[in-house]
Order: sequence, then structure tokens, then C-alpha cells
Amino acid sequence: MSETQAARQRQSPDPSLWVDQYGDYLYKYAMFRLRDSSVAEDVVQETLLAAFQAYEKFGGRGSEKTWLTGILKHKVIDHFRRTSRESKVELDEGREFEHPEMFMQTGEWVGHWAAILEPDKGHIAPIAWNTNPATLVEQNEFWVVFQDCLSPLPERIASAFTLREIDGLKSEEICEVLSISVNNLWVMLHRARTHLRYCIELNWFRREPTVK
Amino acid sequence: MAIQLYAKVKQEATFWLGRRLPRCDELLVTMSESLERKLTSREKIKLRLHFLICDYCSRYLRHLRILHESLRRRGDVMEPEPSTSSLSDGARERIKRALEARG
Repeated sequence: MSETQAARQRQSPDPSLWVDQYGDYLYKYAMFRLRDSSVAEDVVQETLLAAFQAYEKFGGRGSEKTWLTGILKHKVIDHFRRTSRESKVELDEGREFEHPEMFMQTGEWVGHWAAILEPDKGHIAPIAWNTNPATLVEQNEFWVVFQDCLSPLPERIASAFTLREIDGLKSEEICEVLSISVNNLWVMLHRARTHLRYCIELNWFRREPTVK
Repeated sequence: MAIQLYAKVKQEATFWLGRRLPRCDELLVTMSESLERKLTSREKIKLRLHFLICDYCSRYLRHLRILHESLRRRGDVMEPEPSTSSLSDGARERIKRALEARG
């Protein structure tokens, strides 16, 4: 590419080329966080439109992909902000995801793992997981199970969990985005983690090994 | 005989201790919060003592940490993996048209 050609491309990018080049990547990035194809498509479109309008600011510094990802990340957060504004915070929302059935409900041992006293409850108490993060990250089927386990959670709890665990936002940032208090957030994260751990253990770590 | 007695005493002792330890379901809240803030030394001691006799709870915390770390790593994965779906043709065309309209 000659100097002038490169310069011309910097001034006016070819947006339809962007769709082909980065469309799938941006879509997957959005899907992992939003879990709804039409919302993810909209967010990708908003991202590319915003990028197109702000192209001069980018000015070809750094990688186009990283720049687009940065915009997308903000668009995803904006989506969470919009949807949480539409619904009221209910403290009891998602309480069932603490899975009280895992614990003794009455008696001297109330609140302890039911499996301690009732051997037939063994399947709902934590087993050893023989794995580590480096292995799990590479196992695509594991992430299918993960998505299935996340989907029944109430929207706001799933959003809080996503912002915290996937995007690594700080507590204060998440509270601002979702308009909740820190205590609210911690309760939500506790419910999300309890449910996901339980669901993933049942559907991944306790699943029948597949015959190859 | 002596061995049986020892086993019995040990089991009783564990049970006696177990009933006096904080409730597992309440400690789960503390374990989740350990990923959000620094625990007080009192809370840390409470957890450690509990883990000594409760394998389920110590596994629980290990699992939370594995998930926490795996999710962070997966969120940073920059290359799309082949197993998940890609942008549909319809959406692709729609986005192109929207971009051309602005262009």
C-alpha cells in the first residue's frame, strides 16, 4: 500500500470491510456478556456506527481491533445501565439461587451441609474438582455449560456477575451502572456464585464421562 | 475394642465441635465476600478453623476461586473460538446498510 493510499484509508475507513473483518469477533465478545443474539447484534451495530463517527479521533494509532473492543465494552455497559434502570431492585430477588436445599433446614445442624447427616444428599454437596483455570479456559464445552447455568438467573444478578467476574469492574463502578448499593451487589454476587458453582458441578464435574 | 472406642470418641468430638462452629450457609456469604474485600482477621480465623473439619466448605471456596480466575481469563481471550455462533448473514447485511447510510 502506498503512502497516499494509506493516508486515504485513514481518513475514510471502509465500514463494510469492518463488518467482515471484526464482525464475528465483536459479536462473540458481546454474546459472552449479553447472551441474547438480537441484543448482541444491536450492540455490535452501535459500536461500529460510533467507531465510524469517531474514526478521526482514533487516527490509526494502535490496533483497530483493540480500539473497537474498547468501544464495544462501553456499549455493553451502557446496555446494562439502561436495562437496570427499567426494573426495581427487589432484595429477595433470586433468593432461591442460594439453593437452601443443600443445607439442613431444621434441628441442631441447621445451616450445615445436608450431606453431613443425610448420605442420600451426597450429590448436592461439593466434590473435589480436578481442574485448574488454565485448563477450563480452553474447554469450549465447559463454557456452553457455564452459559446454560447463568441463563436462569434474574437479569440484574447475571449483569452484576458478568461485570464483576468477566470484565473485572470494581464494586463502585458496578453499583453506579446498576444503581444498587454495595451490600445489594454482594448479596447478588453470592447468589450468582452459589448457583453457578452448584449448577456447573452437577452438569460438568459430575457428568457421565463421554465414551470416545 | 479400643480402636472402635477411639473412632466413636473421635466422631462424637467432631460432631460436638461441628455443631458449635458457625453455620456453613452463613460462611458461604463470607467466602464470596472474600473475593470483594479484605476479610477481618476474626473472619479469617473463623474460616480456617471451620475448614479444618469441613471439607465441603473448603472445597466450596476453592471452587469459587477457580471460577473467578477462569472467568477473568476467558473474558480476556481476544480470539473468537470456533464453537460459538457467529454473526448471522441477516445481521451482517443490516449492519453494513446502517453503516453505509451514515457514510
